[in-house]
Amino acid sequence: MIDTTSTHSLAAAGELGQSIRTSSGRWKDRKNRLRFYNRAFRVICIASAIFVCMILLSILFFMFRTGVLTFETVSPATFFFSADWSPENESYGAFVFIFGTVALTALTLLISVPISIFVAVFLAEVAPAWLRNALRPVLDLLVGIPSVVYGFLGLTLLIPLLRQMTGYDLADGILAAAIVLSIMVLPTISRISDDSISAVPRKFRDASYALGATRFQTVFRVVLPSARSGILYGVILGMARAIGETMAVVMVIGNTPQLADALFKPTSVLTSNIVMQIPNVPFDSTWNYALYMMGFLLLVISLVMIVVIRVLQKRGAKA
Amino acid sequence: MKKWFKTLGIAAMAVALTTAGVSAAGAASSLSGKIVINGSSALLPLTLQAANEFKKLNPKVKISASAAGSVTGPQAVRKGIADIGACDWDASMDVPGFKKFEGQVANKVAVIPFAAVVNKNVKVDSLTNKQLADIFSGKITNWKDVGGDDADIVVVNRAFGSGTRVNFQMKALNGADFMTKGSNYKEVKSSGDMKTAVDTTPNAIGYLDLVYVSGSIKALKINGVAATEANVINGTYKVWGYGYYMTKGQPTGATKAFIEYVQSSKFQNGSLKKLKFIPVSAMK
Amino acid sequence: MSRVNQVKNRLFTISVWVVAACVILFVFGLLFLILQRGLPSLTWDFIFGLPSEIEEGGGIGPALFNSFYMLFLSMAIAVPLGLASGIYLAEFAPENKLIGFVRICVEGLASVPSIIFGLFGIALFVEMFQLGLTIIGGAVSLAFLNLPVITRVTEEAIRSVPGELKNASFALGATHLQTIRRVLIPSSINGIVTGICLASGRAFGESAVIILTAGVTTSGVMWDFNLMSPGETLAVHLWYVQSEAIVPDAQQISQKAAAVLLFVVLAINVVFRIPLWIRERRFR
Repeated sequence: MIDTTSTHSLAAAGELGQSIRTSSGRWKDRKNRLRFYNRAFRVICIASAIFVCMILLSILFFMFRTGVLTFETVSPATFFFSADWSPENESYGAFVFIFGTVALTALTLLISVPISIFVAVFLAEVAPAWLRNALRPVLDLLVGIPSVVYGFLGLTLLIPLLRQMTGYDLADGILAAAIVLSIMVLPTISRISDDSISAVPRKFRDASYALGATRFQTVFRVVLPSARSGILYGVILGMARAIGETMAVVMVIGNTPQLADALFKPTSVLTSNIVMQIPNVPFDSTWNYALYMMGFLLLVISLVMIVVIRVLQKRGAKA
Repeated sequence: MKKWFKTLGIAAMAVALTTAGVSAAGAASSLSGKIVINGSSALLPLTLQAANEFKKLNPKVKISASAAGSVTGPQAVRKGIADIGACDWDASMDVPGFKKFEGQVANKVAVIPFAAVVNKNVKVDSLTNKQLADIFSGKITNWKDVGGDDADIVVVNRAFGSGTRVNFQMKALNGADFMTKGSNYKEVKSSGDMKTAVDTTPNAIGYLDLVYVSGSIKALKINGVAATEANVINGTYKVWGYGYYMTKGQPTGATKAFIEYVQSSKFQNGSLKKLKFIPVSAMK
Repeated sequence: MSRVNQVKNRLFTISVWVVAACVILFVFGLLFLILQRGLPSLTWDFIFGLPSEIEEGGGIGPALFNSFYMLFLSMAIAVPLGLASGIYLAEFAPENKLIGFVRICVEGLASVPSIIFGLFGIALFVEMFQLGLTIIGGAVSLAFLNLPVITRVTEEAIRSVPGELKNASFALGATHLQTIRRVLIPSSINGIVTGICLASGRAFGESAVIILTAGVTTSGVMWDFNLMSPGETLAVHLWYVQSEAIVPDAQQISQKAAAVLLFVVLAINVVFRIPLWIRERRFR
């Protein structure tokens, strides 16, 4: 269907697309029609893109508008730096949750990134072709398992196991949550890393082998560095998923507003606290606003991460 | 492929139209209208069952029932989003943590017994109100202090705002405050999570609607009285509460008919009993 | 030196195999565990049956139907919009600050935690439009969740089409639209379909958004196409059964429901890819 043999590299695409306008007037009717279609299509596309942006902006605006009402009664300093969250006593310090989210994400990445990169290297470099083709869809499938199922398995299988291994009475905490999350983000990170490792040109590897490098050296000195920005993209997407995951985390983290200063201490993160409390919250209360503010924080954290990816990608492209 | 989609679309539309037509045409009862119910998730099974039966009797009434948390019920009623707000406490009065909702009428629909539950490895069978209050407020932290083995107590609590929590706090703990921190303390989101948590955690204590107590978890006696239906009815077991349907003022029309149906002895002594709630009329 | 390198290399290869083997075993173990718990006892009555609040043997029919219905609705909104904006970003958009901003918006939206879409859905449909918890609210919120993913994947896929193909098409006198329709989309369809598959898998398993926007109940009848009905999906039903239901076979229902969910996600992935495999064969 598509002729891949023609390799003329001509002028910029945009000019060529409009070439029909300046062509001879023989098919005037058809020309106008095509022109109209082109225009209309372009407008539709622009409208869609604007719509997507509008959604984000309206979500941002809305979360902020509701969240900012928190600060009518609670000072920002208290909200961000106080570790005392007890809605029954009207004290709304979200530091525990912010810290919990950061700690949980860091721990999740610590566990999942090395394993994911190993899996990606395996898929892209080591595994025979048939195994690779069989495994990739299976990893994709893991993304579709509902998080409720992960949470339930964590609660009924992982936590008793941890309890046996460590002797704690209650093994809920950031370690249990981080293990569950690691399993959940593993397919995301490894599949994206796999794609970017596969995209490293063959000639890089050939050159490395020709210089007498072993596979180990080739992978670590040549392939992984060249796939760096893609891997980073995968890691940050995984990170976004870890920060935003709710239903699985809430089942294994213990949901207690106390600082996560130990691996096996029940604690709470932004998402789990929102989902625990949002059904029970009176609509027009500081409590409700504080939960929305926490939602806004989550949003800001993920947006900041996106900007970080963009900067890193640009830097990667320059290097 | 395209054609296939088109046919499917037309078929879907046809089905939608016919169902709409049927629901408009059916006329067995003169009563019509739409009832929106929101609120307590503990009362949801009851509401759904009642809605199914009621819809069979009154096909022209549409009932849309959903649930989030107890406080959502009266709130939705106040905002005018729902006609009935299911709530585990009388929201027309102040309770610990929640102010009363002005102008709402509480309609009693069921009696809900609650039970303190422990993991099956716990040897203790009975606790007093005082002991329970001390355990849940974190003053007693070892089972040996209440006559059990030498093991730390793991306290499982519902999140602040839960109707079960409000009732348990008022009726079983005599209003004592809950602990909020500790390495042997966790909160869960729902009755099912509570059951799973107590079931799978050795030395755990929690509390549940009696309905959910079954199988491998153990309900404690409170002050030596077992948590059974009979003891609730004869007045010796005190840890129970009414389930309420909150309405804005006195209910009218279809809403009134629905609440009356739920309160009727046919439903109370039939499905409601099967769901292991206790009929309101049984309480003196 | 080279001896050390060889040992290192050997160690590296072995460790990659070991880690990968562990992960693969683990993944298959997980899938097997879920399927094995639920599939053997699966019956048609369960899949198409109405859920029950009292007796054992309730089915998942309406929830399963809602899952597909809502998936279809949300994809009907998200796919055209996502494709169009993806094409715009890849083909028409000039390289300037504004478009850079748009791109950040799209990526930002793609990584917004799903619970935020739930909160947004509540605010939009429940509080602003006063619709209550409905299928349409859930479907639109779900579409918002999927839109950025589809946009992003489309953009990436179209960008990765070699420039030669495009130039060849222009050289033959094709307009931009013709080039997109006849050349760019067909040659990037593989990536786009993978993206749509992933998005639908995610939508199918999504629960947080649906709980907040479409509720945890169904209208209780099969084939209810009414957009204003409450729209509990299978993933939500799984959650509901695990957390609130008082039917005695809740455990089995949730295991079977999990198996069905997994099976459907598998089926979506396979069914969407079959035409691609066939095409690939033909053009090889």
